Amino acid sequence: MSYQWNWGIFLSPAASGDSTYLGWMLSGLQTTILLSLSAWVIALALGSLMGVLRTVPGKWLSGLAATYVEIFRNIPLLVQLFIWYFVLPEVLPFGLGDRFKQDLDPVTQQFVSAMVCLGFFTSARVCEQVRSGINALPRGQKNAGLALGFTLPQTYRHVLLPMAFRLVVPPLTSEFLNIFKNSAVCSTIGLLELAAQGRQLVDYTAQPYESFIAVTALYLIINVVVMTLMRHVENKTRVPGYLGGK
Amino acid sequence: MISIDTVSKHYGSFQVLTDCTTQVKKGEVIVVCGPSGSGKSTLIKCVNGLEPFQSGTITVNGVSVGDPKTNLSKLRSHVGMVFQHFELFPHMSITDNLTIAQEKVLGRNKDEARDKGLKLLDRVGLKAHAAKFPGQLSGGQQQRVAIARALAMDPICMLFDEPTSALDPEMINEVLDVMVELAQEGMTMMCVTHEMGFARKVANRVIFMDKGQIVEDDSKDAFFGAPRSERARQFLAKILQH
Repeated sequence: MSYQWNWGIFLSPAASGDSTYLGWMLSGLQTTILLSLSAWVIALALGSLMGVLRTVPGKWLSGLAATYVEIFRNIPLLVQLFIWYFVLPEVLPFGLGDRFKQDLDPVTQQFVSAMVCLGFFTSARVCEQVRSGINALPRGQKNAGLALGFTLPQTYRHVLLPMAFRLVVPPLTSEFLNIFKNSAVCSTIGLLELAAQGRQLVDYTAQPYESFIAVTALYLIINVVVMTLMRHVENKTRVPGYLGGK
Repeated sequence: MISIDTVSKHYGSFQVLTDCTTQVKKGEVIVVCGPSGSGKSTLIKCVNGLEPFQSGTITVNGVSVGDPKTNLSKLRSHVGMVFQHFELFPHMSITDNLTIAQEKVLGRNKDEARDKGLKLLDRVGLKAHAAKFPGQLSGGQQQRVAIARALAMDPICMLFDEPTSALDPEMINEVLDVMVELAQEGMTMMCVTHEMGFARKVANRVIFMDKGQIVEDDSKDAFFGAPRSERARQFLAKILQH
């Protein structure tokens, strides 16, 4: 096999647009980061809310949250993405679907669908982590909060959640890493994120090794940064005299 | 102060409390004892509504605990409670443990809450540990902080749920000393405990429970002198043997 390595390809002008192939890669990287971070905000907010609901007394709320988790955890991510992007705009009431399709440019449509899809999918997983964190706390903690006169929401806010989140930083780190990796699925609806740019570069230049090595390296770099960041969070929030704290 | 009237509670078909009736007057110290599983912890948790009950009434300072209209949080904010496993909040410094409920529940300002908290911390002999975290203190120290935390809310009465049974023997006395002092100052107290020395010293009455029922409710002299029921006699013989 004779393969012509050409790392200089990244600096040559791209086939379209006034940028280089490196510019394509960086624009893909930017989309991947923006998409994953905004989806993570949704996942963390919604997942925490659902995780709390799964632990509150009363069958209705916890049942609702349990159903939510089963739906979003048991349908493949790819199928969910197609539903959000292809199906939902057709069935939205009050002309919302039409406005989504007509008023937003295609790239924004892809981005919004991908963001919501990744956010909801990951929130089901975050929900289970948060729930397990709350359930791992001694039962007496809740009683101690209530006995001091805290309302149930205050007990969650000041007593249960601060410890529960500390306990689940490691599994949440995994979810945070997953969301970057899962974002590659969004290339299937045409969103030009990192993996899609990599493939496009192969189509235009016939330099697959350089392209996919670059894509791989960029994903690795993202995740090393995320891991470092989360380790920092873990160390910062470590409780003295508790769970490996000093 | 606390009035418990024919209170019964069951989990499904399992009866935990059966027709429990007793009173705690202002300034009284009541010790509740009995074998494990007899319902004493459940009973004391019913007093501030941490455990619901199906029938009977409990009133604390004239407020009915079982009434769905009662603002339980408000009631609990001036009923102090101390737990078997201390239940300090591990992610907060000792000072924050002492002040958070004063600020968030009673609406005191930061300085006021801090002054009050530190004064009580000094009182239980732990002033030097204000900046530490619960995990850095011994069990006995944590329990003394827990008592100070409850006192910081200016409680009208205190509930103790086996406050010394999770402690090493060496640490039991430092906690009991604080409790004796409280009792001698006239605090209304209901204590689930097996510390019979404590009961002899400060209790006005001793309640003996077995299988969810109050078997004996007597002055301490009557209880220790000549318990009326065979079950209480057996219990005392067993725990006072050594």
